[in-house]
Amino acid sequence: MTAVGTSVDALAPRLRDSRGSTRLWILLGGWLALTLLLTAASLLVGTSTLETSLGWLTSSDTHAAVILWDIRLPRTVGAFFAGALLGLAGAVAQGLFRNPLAEPYLLGTASGAALGVTLSLIAADASIGEIAWVGKLGITGAACLGACAAMLLTITLARGVLQTPGLLLAGVVIAFLLSSLNALLVLSRPEIWRALQMFLLGSTGFLSWPAVLLLAIVFAIAIVPAVSLSRGLDALTLGEDTALSMGLSLPLLRLGLLGIVALATAAAVGQVGVVGFVGLVAPHLVRESVAVNHRQLLIGAPLCGGTLLQLADLLSRWIIRPAELPVGAVTACVGGVYLVVLLWRRSRDA
Amino acid sequence: MLRSVSPDADAGAGRAARTAVAPLSCRGLVVGYRDRRVLSHLDLEIQARCFTAIVGPNGSGKSTLLRALAGLAAAQGGEIRLHGRALSAWSRRERARRLAWLAQSAAASDLTAAEVVGLGRFAHSGWLAHRRREDDVAVHRAMTATGSLAWGPRRLSTLSGGERQRVYLARVLAVEAPVLLLDEPTTHLDPPYQEDILRLLRQEAHEAGVCVLAAIHDLSLALTADRLIVLGADGLIGHGTVREALTGDWLSAAFRTRVEIVDHDGVHLWRPALEG
Repeated sequence: MTAVGTSVDALAPRLRDSRGSTRLWILLGGWLALTLLLTAASLLVGTSTLETSLGWLTSSDTHAAVILWDIRLPRTVGAFFAGALLGLAGAVAQGLFRNPLAEPYLLGTASGAALGVTLSLIAADASIGEIAWVGKLGITGAACLGACAAMLLTITLARGVLQTPGLLLAGVVIAFLLSSLNALLVLSRPEIWRALQMFLLGSTGFLSWPAVLLLAIVFAIAIVPAVSLSRGLDALTLGEDTALSMGLSLPLLRLGLLGIVALATAAAVGQVGVVGFVGLVAPHLVRESVAVNHRQLLIGAPLCGGTLLQLADLLSRWIIRPAELPVGAVTACVGGVYLVVLLWRRSRDA
Repeated sequence: MLRSVSPDADAGAGRAARTAVAPLSCRGLVVGYRDRRVLSHLDLEIQARCFTAIVGPNGSGKSTLLRALAGLAAAQGGEIRLHGRALSAWSRRERARRLAWLAQSAAASDLTAAEVVGLGRFAHSGWLAHRRREDDVAVHRAMTATGSLAWGPRRLSTLSGGERQRVYLARVLAVEAPVLLLDEPTTHLDPPYQEDILRLLRQEAHEAGVCVLAAIHDLSLALTADRLIVLGADGLIGHGTVREALTGDWLSAAFRTRVEIVDHDGVHLWRPALEG
């Protein structure tokens, strides 16, 4: 017993993947540096030219200060937190459903949020021009509520959180139902189509400091329980029965993790609309570069997701400047290409 | 239906007879899926310090019995007792500390072998995974015993099927539970490793006093156990020592065909009859 005990310390390094974790920390450091770089870069990109923006940095003009610090900075910081929330939700969903194609919207949240927006637009009966600036808070709240309602509907339809396939199926059903309902509403009120489209494609253009604060608070609330439940997710990788036999409370774990997915997704969707692919791709990017356990994944995926959305935001302002693209279109293009590359690499390796 | 017979003078089984309460027992156990009843009215007392093998044809309920005893398949009738107390009366964590179950097949994950084995300590250390020295000791010992220590930092997904199986087995051993329920612990293993694992299970039973119950497909391997639970298509054929099973020709009854066992210097081997 003592002999074993002493040799454990000598052999402890053999039990731990020190090379892998060094690689992970290098990767995380790299992303963090990239994030800071993107934040700085995005201060300089907008409807004005690069030279003008550079000049603003040193000028004492209040107009310039507002553009830099109250429009461009919250936009890029907000994009980071929204992306981080989506990355976290995606990583949790993929672990929970043990499915690499799981993503934050799989419980019908996207359709629910869209329906919420449509309803709020109809209720406000506002014209498109006004929506962007006046109805913002209403849209945010409605999207958030719609996402939560859709998730509750999904869980009700699946009769609780016990059956994973049941939950997935219920999510698909609810998503279809709410989407068709939404389509019917939009058909009867074609004037809201443009504003809704803007939301469905995702947009980082409306992020203000209060929104950033909200996203940051939700992120802080979501990441702590997620990381502390990570060992449960690790256990789940061995199969649900094995996890149960190890004394894991599956219903409690599922409920907690679904709550985290719901909270993170609803907050992100509320602020930036239905931005696709970030939640799906971020966990894959982490896993592809360094194989990880869930604690590492739940720290890496948000950082990666945040960086991705910041990059997409920057590109959306850069590509057709001085006009801009919807950020969701950029993430869909980048994410789609990445997934194709991933599939191609897999089939080549196989 | 045959009832448990008192053990004869076999080394492991003889000691078990002196234990007052069987670590694991069931009475009138009924288990099934929807309309199909797999096990009905099963009475068993699984002995401590004893390596018991479950044998029987495909679909006779070997895995189902293990799953029911582990509390994973809900019993439709009867009761299961762990250390004399109803299985359902134990708290989740307390039960998991006393009863470890090995799945027939497990998914490969991105975890390292050492992390997987470390999960065996979950019932002891809980969610926050604060690494305690005793956990490290248990993980180290389990990995040494199964010969999987060298793969500690390697990802499970990079290991072969047999290597993975030894890691999963180490995960179960790391629980340090007094009752081990193993579903085909020797699958995917090369013959010499099957031998190692059987020797290990016997040691766990005889030296550490663990109650080992394993479903084993290979008849020759199963006959190295102390006791046999023989299941047929219609339920329990018998539960007793290997000698009792051979004398009563329980295996032929279970498989509904003549099963010939030869005695090779005290080692019982299944002899395939290829002539007919």
